[in-house]
Amino acid sequence: MITLQSYLTLSAILFAIGIIGIIINRKNIIIILMCSELILLAVNFNFVAFSYFNQDYTGQIFVFFILTVAAAEAAIGLAILVTLYRNNGSIDVQNLTALKE
Amino acid sequence: MLNEIIFYTFSSILICAALGVILFRNPVYSAVSLILSFITSAFLWFLLESEFLALILILVYVGAVMVLFLFVIMMLNINEQKANSKFNTIAPIALLIGLVILAEMITLIWMKSTQFKETITIIAAPSSENNTLELGKLLFSEYIYPFEIAGFILLLGIIISISLTLRTKKGKKTQIISKQIDIDPSKRVQLVDLERGKN
Repeated sequence: MITLQSYLTLSAILFAIGIIGIIINRKNIIIILMCSELILLAVNFNFVAFSYFNQDYTGQIFVFFILTVAAAEAAIGLAILVTLYRNNGSIDVQNLTALKE
Repeated sequence: MLNEIIFYTFSSILICAALGVILFRNPVYSAVSLILSFITSAFLWFLLESEFLALILILVYVGAVMVLFLFVIMMLNINEQKANSKFNTIAPIALLIGLVILAEMITLIWMKSTQFKETITIIAAPSSENNTLELGKLLFSEYIYPFEIAGFILLLGIIISISLTLRTKKGKKTQIISKQIDIDPSKRVQLVDLERGKN
């Protein structure tokens, strides 16, 4: 029998992989955005698992809204990325020091 | 028994795909790997009887968001070697932090397992109505205001991303609407009295 703990452990592993990915690939903004999608997927996994094991549809409604906000966030993030590339010629995080001084 | 086989197979595929996202040097491979992990998790959501969200995950994420990611990756010419030059020095620290987070969460999940078991046993018989119908009923009655706000957020996303990336060419001939509206007819048409017979 698959318990709730199995799903929670799976989502914890996904979350940790997302965090590790953000730290490892901290120079590449595209991969950082993808890792944040991975973290959101882990959170959604928790909601769906709790919704199933409690037989309550509220968790799935919440996942619906998270998907909406994540789609808007990805679109805006990629638009910022395109603008950044036009202005700087690269998307290296190390070059983003315009606000430093 | 079949459920266990499906769950463990698909979750190992999911973890491998997620590892692929963070370990591939080429961003295109990472994006394709992320697509695989979304599709695999959609199958796992089918197992959890949330069919609508699984289909939405495939349609919205794989069909729209990841295609957008791939478009942007192909549009920007990224030098992949340069992006990962410090890969090896930071990796042990990242691994340490990730493993600590994972250990904390797994300890919490399995320590409290006695409390979870009460909720696990309350698995009601599956309702006769389908998942989409149930979600739709809730979404359009109880959660109608959040639903409207979600629509507004999407509109905001469209406006922000268009206004960020829109670039007008210099020397392009376009109408200036405000000037067109503000025009005074007396300045445009000049009535000249011509004396008859002179010209």
